[in-house]
Parts: sequence; structure tokens; C-alpha cells
Amino acid sequence: MDSLYLLIPIALLFCAIAIKLLLWAIDNGQYEDLDKESWRILADDETPATPDDTNSDNTRPPAEKP
Amino acid sequence: MAGAWTELSNNMILAMPLPTEGSANADVKACYHCGEQVPAGADFGIVIADQFRPMCCPGCRAVAGLISASGLENFYQQRTAYNERPSERAPDTLEQYLIYDDPALSTTFTETSADGEVTAKLLLGGISCAACTWLIEQTMARLPGVSEALVNLQQNRLDIRFQPDHIKLSEIFAQVDALGYRGRPFHTSTQRQQVADEYRLELRRLAVAGLGMMQVGMFAVALHAGDIQGIESQYQGLLRWVSLLVASFVVVFSSRPFFITAWRHLKQGALVMDLPVALAIGLAWLASIWATVTGTGQVYFDSVVMFTFFLLLGRFFERRASQRHNLTWFDAQETLPDAVTTRRENQWLVVPRIQLQAGDILLVRAGDTVPVDAQVIAGQSAMREDTFNGEHLPRTVAPGDTIYASTLNTETALEARVLGNYLESRLAALQRSVEQAQGEKPRLARLADHVASWFVGAVLLLTAATALVWSQLDPDQAFWIALSVLVISCPCALALATPAALTSAASALRANGVIVRGENALEALSRATHLIFDKTGTLTEGTLAITDVHTLGDFSREEVLATGAALQKYSRHPVGTAFAAIDPSSGLENVRYQVGAGLEAKQGSHTFRMGSEPFCRTLAPTLPPPPSEPLYWVALCRDEMPLAWIGLDDRTRPEAADVVAAAQDAGLAVSLLTGDSSAQGPRLANTLGITDVATGLEPQQKMTHVRALQAAGAVVVMVGDGLNDAPVLSLADASFAVPGASDLARAQADFVLVGGDLHSVTSTWRKARQCRRVINQNFAWALAYNASAIPLAALGFVPPWAAAIGMSASSLLVVANSLRLNSNP
Repeated sequence: MDSLYLLIPIALLFCAIAIKLLLWAIDNGQYEDLDKESWRILADDETPATPDDTNSDNTRPPAEKP
Repeated sequence: MAGAWTELSNNMILAMPLPTEGSANADVKACYHCGEQVPAGADFGIVIADQFRPMCCPGCRAVAGLISASGLENFYQQRTAYNERPSERAPDTLEQYLIYDDPALSTTFTETSADGEVTAKLLLGGISCAACTWLIEQTMARLPGVSEALVNLQQNRLDIRFQPDHIKLSEIFAQVDALGYRGRPFHTSTQRQQVADEYRLELRRLAVAGLGMMQVGMFAVALHAGDIQGIESQYQGLLRWVSLLVASFVVVFSSRPFFITAWRHLKQGALVMDLPVALAIGLAWLASIWATVTGTGQVYFDSVVMFTFFLLLGRFFERRASQRHNLTWFDAQETLPDAVTTRRENQWLVVPRIQLQAGDILLVRAGDTVPVDAQVIAGQSAMREDTFNGEHLPRTVAPGDTIYASTLNTETALEARVLGNYLESRLAALQRSVEQAQGEKPRLARLADHVASWFVGAVLLLTAATALVWSQLDPDQAFWIALSVLVISCPCALALATPAALTSAASALRANGVIVRGENALEALSRATHLIFDKTGTLTEGTLAITDVHTLGDFSREEVLATGAALQKYSRHPVGTAFAAIDPSSGLENVRYQVGAGLEAKQGSHTFRMGSEPFCRTLAPTLPPPPSEPLYWVALCRDEMPLAWIGLDDRTRPEAADVVAAAQDAGLAVSLLTGDSSAQGPRLANTLGITDVATGLEPQQKMTHVRALQAAGAVVVMVGDGLNDAPVLSLADASFAVPGASDLARAQADFVLVGGDLHSVTSTWRKARQCRRVINQNFAWALAYNASAIPLAALGFVPPWAAAIGMSASSLLVVANSLRLNSNP
């Protein structure tokens, strides 16, 4: 049973990490919009590709307009 | 005509449900985009996803066509509510947004990052469901130059990041407009920021309490098991110490608001529900620390954190239910156009409104909202002033007359001299009386606080008595038994009784198209004694409709109406909308409009005139006086022959009589307060069976009326729609904004009806009564639990594990009972 002296602090450490992560997520605004996210996870995300859809990768700025 | 500016960016989620496929009445086609009835003869439908879809107006067709052409027709399968009907757009859609390219204005809602990209925040009006956010994000992200578009549904806010070299802000606004939504700059107000900060803080507290509860709960299981089957004291000590560590963190981090509220009210001599809560948490925590340090007695760390978590959770849900529609505060100033046309050095320039100064010359085009109080110097027109009097018929203005900010110019362009800045305007005065009314709103004592005030006394008395008796019998045990009385009486179920019921009732109402906004509104509504209606737009539909046609010449009724429709096509007067659904006759040309009089047109050698009595009589001297019924009469004549008197009326909502009768049957005193001074008010009241009528009231006079009732002890419920009702809506104990109400009215009302009709007023009232019954049951149960558990604890029969189980079980029962409210009536 002496292992408790090791295991409980480890459990507390994990708990502290979990709290830290959760607080970080909250401060990061990830829980700001619970309505939209709860809908989005169920929605079909398949957008039919259109010919002019090359810019839909919205992480990069698009190339110069032709 | 209305343009994006008169429609405010309203931030209500429209919960009007979509009808299920095939259930719609076969004769009445609903517009595929906005769900409104397609007028007879309208032909705007288009093919979307290989199927012909009916559309009610060119606006809906344009928006739906754009959505379909961008390959986003999936949107229509995904959405859960109809869209808002887009406003008829002016031909210069882009032009009205050009003002936002001006750096002086754009910097107030944009940020430029180091790499040259600009992030703008736009407040969106017209978002009806989560699918709208998808549609907007998809469309915006495809625009060249846009690198990111994110919509926050809770705040109705679009955050868009773009390269200013590739796309201009005005083009982004125009695109939002083209999708049928209304965009305005999103200005971060301190109030908005405060709510966002509080939301995060609450969520942080909840997260810590939840994780802490799991940890302490785990240790507690070991400790409780140890109590029953025995445990070595070193391990008991270890478990107690780690529980102490975690629980203390939770108490310090998460339970703070209970202590603060309790103390703040105690200082003012008020006993609120937070006081027994704070006492239970605080004393149980301190005593458990004492037990841990001295190695004696019992620890209640699990109860402390569980209690904290449950209560925070209940409050979080309660606040979320009432605040999700509360995030935008209404500022009347935001309804005014940002771009105004003014004369500078002999030419008309478009400048930001904030640059206007007294004495500037202003151009107000037909269809424009007046940006600031001004005096007409040239032109003649008619102003729709429903902002101030709730009436939809315009007032004719000529040089020398004053026009007021936020009223709508319906007919021809006017030049006017600015009288002063916004703060001196009549609109600002209205806004101030709204704010004053908010402060005056009577605060009905919450039922929960009422219960709490004597509960605290009773528990403290019992604890003291227990301690006294046991100190005589067994001084060693006295402290621990007194403590167990305090913990077992921990008012968890009691404190959850109200939030659980209110949250549940609010979500049931929302499913029926009623948004609950007011904090204490359901409780106030359940005690209502007086129900007061506004007239125009509330009991009536607020638009003119043709109710009577007296033919005078050789034209049939149909010919009269067709000719009228052909003429009225050229008018912006509210009368014109009554003819919109009628097939116009052809052949009329040279239609001329005479302000304040009527319309004139030629057909071959004939001259037609339609409008006021004197205007038509100059052409047809034999025109008889209008019939005696109190309607709004319009004459029609051809050359010297009078053709007809057409009677128009603001039609009473079909369900109004039912609702009034139902309210009277239920014992509510019903009255009518209207800004209209004509005979319409008393006539309507008579038809509906309302005896208490007051007409011709200014917004401030309506407030006086309500104040007098409240002073006599009445609990007043107000139902209204207009900007002019806003002060009285915020003053009443509980208030409703009807479907189609103005945004200021919505922002002040405790209940916002977004779908359905006036029946929702009585059904909400019934729900409020039911909610009150459930709250009473919850209190009865919680008190019964305490009453049976406290004697056991006082006798020393309740160990900590039993206290923890009892607390969770009684709380669950309260929550389960409250969930019954969720079933539809």
C-alpha cells in the first residue's frame, strides 16, 4: 500500500495538467460558441466542389487574381 | 425601399420551425427561402437542386439564386429554421457600404496585423439557425483575398481576415448583404466585454469544480469504505490531506461568488439563497480542515466540492438560457445610417454621420432613414414616424417642418438643415427614457430568496440547539454532530429548485418560438394581474389592407382594384403595399406623384387620379364625401367621373379576440394603450371586449399609466411592438415583444415572440404558472428532505457517506421534477 504515496501525487499531477489544459481551452475561446459547434459536428460537411473552388483552402492567402 | 439601415441588426435567433414536408396547406405556397406566403400571381420561383421552388419576392429569389449558383444549396437541407426575408435592395447596394472603406470609420472595428492582413468584426442581423453560419463562412472564405471567415453564432458576429490589397471592406459588406443578412460594424462595448469575461470566468470555475469533484470523490470512496470496514490511520491521514488540498483549491477558486453575494446582501440586511449555501460550504470546509489537522472527527470534503459543482452547473445553465439572446445591447444610435449625404462647397458628398454638425445641409432621399434631427429647407415629402407614435401612416412635411432621426422618408428627396448632434435628438431622449425605465422596473422578491431567509434562521437555530443538547450529553461528540446537522441541511436541492425549473421552462418555451430574456420574468409573469396591449402592430397586423370598395361609376370592383394597383406601383406610401398582391391593369402611363395628395396617370385621352378627397375633387367635382365607416378612405376617379372610394384598414390579428377572451377568463384585467388618437382604438377595444382604453398616448404617458397601476400593487404585463413601446416594455413587470417587433422593443422585452402569434402570450403565461407550481413542488420536496434528515443528524445517526448520498439524491429528484416542464403543453 505504500505505492499510494507515489500514485496519489501522480494522479494529482494529471489532474493539475487536465485543469490547466481546460483553462487554456476556455481562455482560447474554444467554448465561446457552444450552439454552433454542437450543430456543426452533426452537419454534413461535404461541400460540392465547384470549379472556382480553388481558394477554399482558407489557411493560405490566395494567389493573385488573374 | 427599407434598405439595410432601417432594419436593425437584430440578434435574436429566429426559432420559427420549418414545417415538415407535405404538411403545409396545399393552396398556400410558402416561399422556399423565407417561409412567408407567396402572394397570388407572384412568379419569382427558381430551380434549386433540380426542383422548382416557389419564392415570394425578388429579394428571396436573388439570395436563393446566389446560394444555388455558388453550389451551396446544401444549406437548405441543413438549416433548421427559415431565413429572414431580405429587404428590398436599393440599386446602389455597394455604394451605401463604400463609407466603410474610409479609414476613419473602418479602424473602429478592424485590426491590422504585422503581415498586412486586416481582421474585421461584423455584427450580423438575420441569422436564423446554425446552418446560416456555415453558409456565411463558406461564401466568405471563397472570396478572393479572404484568408479566414468565422461566425460566432452566440454573438452573431463575423470575424473575417483578409488582404486589403485584394478585397475592400465595402465588398465584404455587399457580399453579406447579397446573402440576405444585414452587416454592421461590431463595436466592442464595455458591457459586451464584461459579459464575455464573466462567461469565461464562470466556465473556468465550473471546470475546476468538476475536475476537483472527481478527484475528491475518488478519495472519498476510499475514505467512506474505510469508515465502514476499517482503515489504517496513516492512509486515512494521507487521503484526508490530499482531499484537503484539492477541496481547498476548489473552494478558493470556484466557490468565491457564493461568499461574495452572501456577504454583499448580508451587509444590506438581506438574507438570500447564497447565505445558507456559503454557510454550508464554509463551515463544512473549515471543520473538515480542523478534523484533518487534528486527526479527529469526520471530513466532508466530497460534499463541499460536489455541492459547489452542482450549484455552479445549475447557475451556468440558467444564465446561458437567459443570456444567449442577450448579448447585444440595443443602442438606438446604431439604427441610424453611418453614411450621410451632405453639401460641402456646393457639391453633395457622402460623409460619416459622426462628422455632421449643426447647420450642415443634408440630403435625405426617398427610402432613407433620417440620420439626425433636422429642419426641412427644400422639398415636400411624407415621413413615417412609427418610431415615436407607433403609427404607420406617414406625416406630410414641407419646408420649415422638423424631421426626426430614425424616421423614414417615404416619398421624395428632401434637403434639410441639421439641428444638432445625436444627443440632442428626439431619438436620444427616447433611449434615455428606456434607460430610466430599466432602473425603475420593480424588483419582485424572488421566491427562492424568500424561502432562504427563514431557512437560514431555522437551520442555525436547530444547529445551535443540537450543539447545546449534545454538549450536556456528550461534550466530545457535540461539535461533530452539530456540524453534521449543518452539512445534512445543506440546501443543495433548495438552491437548485429555482434554476432547474426556470432553465427547463425557458427551453420548452424556446421550442415554441418564445425567447425568454428577462431574469425574473417567468416568476413575475406567473403573478400577473394586468395585461396591457398596444394597438398598431400588436393587436393589429400593422399594415394597411383593403377592406371595403364603394364603386361609384361604371367600373366594377375588380377594375377599380386593378387600376388602383397599376397606379400604386409607383408609390412608396404605405397604401401602396395594400395593392401589391393585385394584378395591375395595363395601359397607364405618365404616372405622376403629388406629395401629400395622390397619383395621377394618363390612359389615352383619359386622366386617372387616386388619392385624397380634395385632390380628386379638383378633377371630378361630383365626388361624394367618403362613407362614414371609420376607415382610411382613398378616392379614385377618371376625368370628371368618380369611380370609387376604397376603404383601407389595419386588420386586427385574427387570434386577437381569442387571446383577449382567454386572458379575461383567466382573471387578468386587460387594457389597451395606444399612441393612435383616432377612433380606431375605442372601436377595436369594443370589438375585442376590452373596456379599459387610453388613446393618443406618448411613450412617456404610457409609462405614467403603468406606474400608476404598479403603485396600486398590480403586476403588469405589457405586450408591444414598436420603438415607442420600448420604455413601457422595460418598465412593466413582464413584457412581450410580438413577432415583427422593432429591435429596440425586442431588446427591452422579457419575452420575445419569434414565431406563431398572440396565442403565445397566453400559452407563455400558462407555462409560467406551471413553472411556479414546479418550483413550489421542488421547495416542498427539498424542505421535506431537510425536515426528515435533520432530526436524524441531530441524533447522531448520519455518517458523512450518508450525507453525500442524501444530498445528491435529493438534488437529482429536484432536477428530474423540473425536467417535466420541458414537455410541450
